[in-house]
Amino acid sequence: MFNILKRQSSSPILLVVVATGISSVVTQLLTIREFLAQFQGNEFVIALILFSWLIQGGIGTYLSQLFSKIIAPTSNMLAWLSLIIAGLPTFQIILIRELRDVLFIHGSSVGFYQTFAFIFLTTTPYALLIGFVLPYSLFVLRTSSPNYPGSNIYMTDNLGDIAGGALFSFFLVYFFSPLKSLLISNLLLLAATYYLFKYSGIRRAFSILCTALIMAVLVLGIVFEEKTLSPPEGRLAYYNESKYGRIEIHQDREQYTLIGDGIPIFSNQNTSIAEETIHYPLSQLSDPRHILVISSEGNIMEELEKYHPESIDYVELDPDLSDVLFRFGLIKKIRGLNVINQDGRAYLANSDKIYDAIILNLPEPETYQINRLYTDSFYAIVKKHLSPAGILSFSMEGYDNYLAEPQRQKISSVYNTLSRHFKNVLLLPGQNIYFLASQSSLKTDIPDSLNRKGISTSYVSSYYYGNLTDDRINQLKELIDKFAPINTDIYPQLMRIMFMQWFAKFSTSPFLFIIILTALSLIYLVRITKEEFVLFSTGCMAMGTEILIIFAFQIFYGYIYLKIGLIITIFLAGLLPGAWIGSRYGSNKKTSLVITDAILILLTGILIMAFKQADYEIPLSAFLLYGFIVSMTCGYQFPTALKLIGDSNPAVTKLFSADLIGAAAGTLLISVAVIPYFGIIWAAAGLIGLKIISLVIMATKS
Amino acid sequence: MKIINRRQFLYCTALILSTPASSRAFGSSDGKKGDIPGSDDNAGDIRGKIFKGDAPDKPWKWSHEGFLYTKLSDRKVVCGICPHRCVLSPGDRSVCRSKINYNGILYSISYGNPCSINVDPIEKKPLFHFKPQTKSFSLAAAGCNFRCLNCQNWEISQAKPGEIRQSELFPEDVIKAALKSGSESISCTYSEPISYFEYMIDIARLAKEKGLSNLWISNGYINKEPLIELCRYMDGANVNLKAFSDSIYRKLNGGRLEPVLNTFKMLNDKGVHFEMTNLVVPGYVDDPEMVKRMCGWILANLGPDHPLHFLRFFPQYKLDRLPPTPVSTLENFRSLAIKEGIRYAYVGNVPNHEGMNTYCHNCKKLLIERKGYLMPAYNLSGNKCNFCNTVIPGVWENRKIKT
Repeated sequence: MFNILKRQSSSPILLVVVATGISSVVTQLLTIREFLAQFQGNEFVIALILFSWLIQGGIGTYLSQLFSKIIAPTSNMLAWLSLIIAGLPTFQIILIRELRDVLFIHGSSVGFYQTFAFIFLTTTPYALLIGFVLPYSLFVLRTSSPNYPGSNIYMTDNLGDIAGGALFSFFLVYFFSPLKSLLISNLLLLAATYYLFKYSGIRRAFSILCTALIMAVLVLGIVFEEKTLSPPEGRLAYYNESKYGRIEIHQDREQYTLIGDGIPIFSNQNTSIAEETIHYPLSQLSDPRHILVISSEGNIMEELEKYHPESIDYVELDPDLSDVLFRFGLIKKIRGLNVINQDGRAYLANSDKIYDAIILNLPEPETYQINRLYTDSFYAIVKKHLSPAGILSFSMEGYDNYLAEPQRQKISSVYNTLSRHFKNVLLLPGQNIYFLASQSSLKTDIPDSLNRKGISTSYVSSYYYGNLTDDRINQLKELIDKFAPINTDIYPQLMRIMFMQWFAKFSTSPFLFIIILTALSLIYLVRITKEEFVLFSTGCMAMGTEILIIFAFQIFYGYIYLKIGLIITIFLAGLLPGAWIGSRYGSNKKTSLVITDAILILLTGILIMAFKQADYEIPLSAFLLYGFIVSMTCGYQFPTALKLIGDSNPAVTKLFSADLIGAAAGTLLISVAVIPYFGIIWAAAGLIGLKIISLVIMATKS
Repeated sequence: MKIINRRQFLYCTALILSTPASSRAFGSSDGKKGDIPGSDDNAGDIRGKIFKGDAPDKPWKWSHEGFLYTKLSDRKVVCGICPHRCVLSPGDRSVCRSKINYNGILYSISYGNPCSINVDPIEKKPLFHFKPQTKSFSLAAAGCNFRCLNCQNWEISQAKPGEIRQSELFPEDVIKAALKSGSESISCTYSEPISYFEYMIDIARLAKEKGLSNLWISNGYINKEPLIELCRYMDGANVNLKAFSDSIYRKLNGGRLEPVLNTFKMLNDKGVHFEMTNLVVPGYVDDPEMVKRMCGWILANLGPDHPLHFLRFFPQYKLDRLPPTPVSTLENFRSLAIKEGIRYAYVGNVPNHEGMNTYCHNCKKLLIERKGYLMPAYNLSGNKCNFCNTVIPGVWENRKIKT
């Protein structure tokens, strides 16, 4: 395997394949981050990006086969395509930023179909090209070596993917902005392209000129990078891409607003929310001494200070974020404040400290990462950290005068989940609905309690009685659906409700999309060969399992960026040795496919057992080992299937496409359909079901 | 049957996958039956369209024949309530979602079935010059003739009657409930009362008889004839002047400016007490030149006495990617409006800001100090300033105010 780059005639082409792999993975990760910052940061959007990317890759692969039939593949053409690939990512990122406000109203969020169409349109050129060049490289190689094995290209591409994944996750994301990262990750591709130009006999001066031109594009992207992010209202006072996402501070006159992934989080003129966040819970306590705040709201420390607590532990996952909040005065450093940069759930799981109040300032549970902080298990952990009269408080998006149905379900689900652990749960309605939970009784007359404590407020004391009438509080209580489902780690019901709420907000439904997709999938599945089906199901399984593993890891350990990057890299890395073994060994190809299918079924069964029985005891090494074995098994199947159907050009493109389309299906199905609707166990069971079909097809069909 | 090959299949896949998305993507965000694509979310104009064939099979219990409409040939009707003037064929539903054509007759289908009922402080509307510190029985039925991207009440304004939870409360029951709650007025508010005009006008008639005040909290997008009828019963109003720009009205609200300005003129002509609300949306409505033009128009057409509220914007509904309005922008606009000649300009949605207080336009002394819904200082006797005896515009009562 490792001497493939050394072959004289193929090395410029293989170098291009590796460099393209690096470029494409870095571009894909940056594109996902860009879309999350420009559109809704929910799991649906992430799945749509991956889905579009993989589908377009699959289509590009087919187009490559078609194109090669019409015009004979040449290294010259490959070099030109590679050059375009090196420059396109910069265009793509800038296009995403600039086109958004052209097509949509500035400052507005957009719905499912708009988001999908935008993703599809803006990623098409690059994703199609990426899908195109991989088989095209093979066709070029086969013009001089007709028997050149397709699996070598698969492995070489894997090598590039692994390098790209590792480069981004462990290096670029820490130090560089998106367009700088693109420059760095495309340098090798530019060099490889230049080398290929030379190899193809293109005039030196001309190839230097063209390469320099693309280099100029990459550099210009960096020059104009901050300009593409400047808000029309006010100015960009701070910008940083932390490993967790985009942090911006927008300044408009005297107001500084924290913008996280494109969404205004809070500003330094945040009195009413700061008062509600702090005084609703703390007014309930006689003498709050130790307070835990997970994530923040603007101006809350000034309000906390009024209670003179001994200690305030402020847990913020992203150190860059807490730093910038202090730097711009969005939160104040006060006596007793201790900043802890860790995942909130992981912190609580590993701490023994008891608090009088735990105040959560969380986004809505739109992602798996956030959903973990709204589950039954999480509330059980929180309860262990509260003093006997201690209080848990957090808020969710509220309403002015009418609680819409999906939101009612969401609030009810959280209420029912909380009620399993706390004797008293009080809901206070408003623009934000506040949840107060305690073993002690809870009072609704907050201004009176504050008055007794001698604590002055500007919002609560003067607006509370008009905004939070007993009628309004009782109305909300009566609207709670006692039968709304409990939100658990392995059955994240809230995510499903959040998706419903998202669709309701835009008065739309994914129904048409699902119907079309199902119909096309059925037509596709009926028409493909059994080997293609094996690889389709393998692609589906690889992506599906990766999502399950990351999800499970987060449940057990919290969001730990580096380790999740490691899991993703391991998943990519396993494919390579798997493919190498598959290309070297396995004389009985059909039996090999059946056996590896059985192994995948077995491995997923083990995963289900682990989910059912593990109690925060699965070590990271087990996750990594598991991911490596699954991905190695998946990697093994590609060259084996290729050998089975004959390593011809059409066969290679078919299998590449099946793999990509399967991965696309796995992403979409597992993350946005199966887990939120049926839970993690059934998601894994579904993957087993798919592989059983694959196994039966392979075992029975002649 | 012709069997397509794999290549054709993939072409079709790409085409079909992008088609539903793109056809919906840059057109309507409302995928519901009958809402014509292109109506809601294209970047220039978000005005709503008629919902073709979306009416219920027949009128229900809460239906009431339309107050003002014209019958056309082929059993079509034209609703005359608002400037949209929806032309509805049998089975169609209006832009505001509350009117349907059943067999050539226009029905309002939200008569007597409000979806939200509360008792609010009158200052919450906001109405600062109308019976301060009284309670207002506030109600709303589903529907709105606008499509504001920042709607605070989108759950009901952008919903159809029947889609959401509603209670049954016919006009006479509303009066009983309002009296029982100790309210001095009834506010038709939250969603858009124009969309349930027939219900509102019947409530107003009965309320007047029982000595309750009628308040109208609205976008002001109404035609002349129904407005004249409404003015007969209306005691006070807060009408949004969302922007002094027709293009912003079309882009952010799905309406037009001119009819709203006409509403202000009519209210002024009819002597109805009204206050104006201008939500200062950053990047759109925060242009001082526009505010100057707006104040100029107000002074020329309505005079200096109608209170003008500059409200702070917060990210809301679909317009959730803009920061809040800086407080100093509101302060500047208030100063600017006062400098231009508006006598009572206020800052809103900023707790306990000095700009919420009322100062006498003559002697400049503090008349009403506001701390949220509380009034630590109240220096009016009836409708006159305690310091200089100047008559202060508004509807004031000669009663003790709790300070």
